[in-house]
Amino acid sequence: MDRKNAAVIKKRIFHPYAVVGLIPAIFFLLFYFYPLSGILVKSFSLEGGRNLSFLDQVFGSPRMMKVIWFTFWQAGISTLLTLVCAFPCAFVLSRYTFRGKRTIRILASIPFVLPAVVVAAAFQACFGDKPFFFGITIDQPLVLILLAHVFYNFSVMLRILTGFWSSLQGRISEAAMVLGASPAKVFLTVTLPLLKPAIFAASALVFIFCFSSFGIILILGGPSYSTIEAEIYRQAAHLFNLPLASFLSLIQITFTFLLMWGYTSFTRRTARFSPDTEQIHLKPPVQLGEKLLIAGVVLFIFCLCVVPLLALVAASLTHAGKMTLVFYQALFVNTTGSIFYIPPFYAIKNSLLFAVVSLLIALTTGICAALFIRFCDRKFSSRWSNFFDPIFMLPLSTSAVTLGFGIIITLDKPPLNLRTSIFLIPIAHALVGFPFVVRAILPALRAIPEQFSEAASMLGASPLAVFKAIDLPLMAKALVAGAIFAFTISLGEFGATIFTSRPETPTIPVAIYRFLSQPGAMNYGQAMAISTILMLVTAAGFVAIEHFRKESTEGF
Amino acid sequence: MGSELVLEHIHKTFADGSLVLNDINLELPKGTKLSILGPSGSGKTTLLRLIAGLAAPDSGTFSFAGELMNDVPPYKRNFGMMFQDFALFPHLNVEDNIAFGLKMKGMDRARRDARVGAMLAMMGLSEFRKRHIDELSGGERQRVALARTLAPQPRLLMLDEPLSALDRSLRKHLLIELTQIISPLNITTIFVTHDHEEAFAAGDLVLIMNRGQIEQKGVPEELIRFPKNDWVRDFLK
Repeated sequence: MDRKNAAVIKKRIFHPYAVVGLIPAIFFLLFYFYPLSGILVKSFSLEGGRNLSFLDQVFGSPRMMKVIWFTFWQAGISTLLTLVCAFPCAFVLSRYTFRGKRTIRILASIPFVLPAVVVAAAFQACFGDKPFFFGITIDQPLVLILLAHVFYNFSVMLRILTGFWSSLQGRISEAAMVLGASPAKVFLTVTLPLLKPAIFAASALVFIFCFSSFGIILILGGPSYSTIEAEIYRQAAHLFNLPLASFLSLIQITFTFLLMWGYTSFTRRTARFSPDTEQIHLKPPVQLGEKLLIAGVVLFIFCLCVVPLLALVAASLTHAGKMTLVFYQALFVNTTGSIFYIPPFYAIKNSLLFAVVSLLIALTTGICAALFIRFCDRKFSSRWSNFFDPIFMLPLSTSAVTLGFGIIITLDKPPLNLRTSIFLIPIAHALVGFPFVVRAILPALRAIPEQFSEAASMLGASPLAVFKAIDLPLMAKALVAGAIFAFTISLGEFGATIFTSRPETPTIPVAIYRFLSQPGAMNYGQAMAISTILMLVTAAGFVAIEHFRKESTEGF
Repeated sequence: MGSELVLEHIHKTFADGSLVLNDINLELPKGTKLSILGPSGSGKTTLLRLIAGLAAPDSGTFSFAGELMNDVPPYKRNFGMMFQDFALFPHLNVEDNIAFGLKMKGMDRARRDARVGAMLAMMGLSEFRKRHIDELSGGERQRVALARTLAPQPRLLMLDEPLSALDRSLRKHLLIELTQIISPLNITTIFVTHDHEEAFAAGDLVLIMNRGQIEQKGVPEELIRFPKNDWVRDFLK
């Protein structure tokens, strides 16, 4: 009997859908766990006569302690500000229906999908030396950082709060009102307590994003404001203090994992308390007060989410007070004439090339992972898929800087020497995009009834034929959404790229950073122009994803 | 006449340890129309899935036409199975659903078209050829599903509660239609149901299952007149 059981288990393990699980597993072992273990080894390595003095360099250094404190402090304040801004907007969007609401929701979502370097460039355009629209120059880097974080994370907070709040507007509120509660009482005694898990979950997520914010801190913060992320880069790339950078990465990994754990426990509670989602009672504004409230919220969202981007476009089209395309034209010219100088056009070409390769890697590994998880769902108990699913989500809770740093310190020597390989960048990008691809595909794949595969199989279709004839066409839309995710994430990725790119192969975000780091109107203008291009491409990608994801609602 | 389908000492346990099939032994001569009847949870669908190759037994052997089938994957068995809710592919139209198995066999376009046309005519569905699955009624879907199952000329036809997805008023009419289509085909058929009337109407031979075991096997009349035990008698009341 035992031998027969073993045969059954063997058959399941060697099922083609089980074997495809090896592809993402190997990808993760080589390019995620191996680099991360490299950081761990480097942190505690005693080679070359070194000792554990880096511990003292962190915990004995007032500067480092200040960096760690500032990382938490800015994340906390940014989260609080984001909550204050998003809360009233979520109330209006979850309660009222009005003309242009869909457009406002899309506009409010766009900042989140923009690359950090584009956001930094937009805020420089809006509040820098030559401010557009508001006419205010903010020379306090801290204020710019906080503003940019609010801009960046507003949509996440708004989406989570609005989604949850909408479901509270119906029966539950009505029941409280029938029982004699005034609107204020309903809010305080019913809505707010039920909304609390969603507020905590959204806040935890925004805190994690701000905690591991890199591009915005590096570009807008300057040398005086450093977070753990920015410090890892500074220690590794500028001071070559790799053990210290490794130890900082370890601190970063520990904190982000703890925060992510907190976030998932909040979301579990959100799901448990989630009331009837069908009961959505939206009403048009009737009273003048309601109309003014909606107008105020629309204006606020426009000023927060759209104006900085318009400022970016305006800055890219203005030189010496006149409208011009000179910055766009300059992107295609080698202005210095030096053979070491790479024209920005090459950065665009590199980025597109890397994005295509990373899309192929992320899509292949993502499809295999999704097929494997579904196979676990179907053939084993859900315990297996509950185990593998979070593992495949790990890159989400690992900062890109840590990933990039881990990759360059481990994949530069045998057994796996990719130091000079052009594939290092797309591999890093694919790793960052992978969880998004899985999240896009898996719900669609899970929605295909098992009987379809069984029916196809009974009609003579091999597992590969089932995949081609049934799974692939039925998940095509989700696949396109996943592909666009992978592509746009790669185009805008900065944290890992700054470590893995070589001087002669910059990407668009790296080029933007280089331009913004150099003085001169031409550099500044070109940064604005190339940022505008990147903004338009990612925004278009986002709109396309929204279009293709209409049918599957699970995800981010 | 020798038996075409032979099951010997089949055991199957679910992951939670519960026994679903306990020492199943069965022999069917070619062309038999067998109905498997039993309450829900009796193991009839599991038995069908084992024969189809969609599940594997823990122990025991299954042979068909003298060939041991235990390690043959479902797509190489050339068995036909009609599913409870038909499992028609929603991204393909009627014609492509019926042609699916023929494509998998590598049949050329002309022969495929001819075969699909013949199946559609046999089912009275000729004018539905290009229709989308969503545009069909329950009865039309059933006929498309049967056409899709029969098109590749399977060696064994299995029907898993083929009428349960339909309206009660439609069932009787469609059962007659179904048996009229299947009867002339000299193909071994297994019809799984929990409904006595359906089982007796569809099968020359009826097998009654309870708690993973075969309680009794026989022609309908024999079962009604000579139930083997109290449980069978009560069940058939």
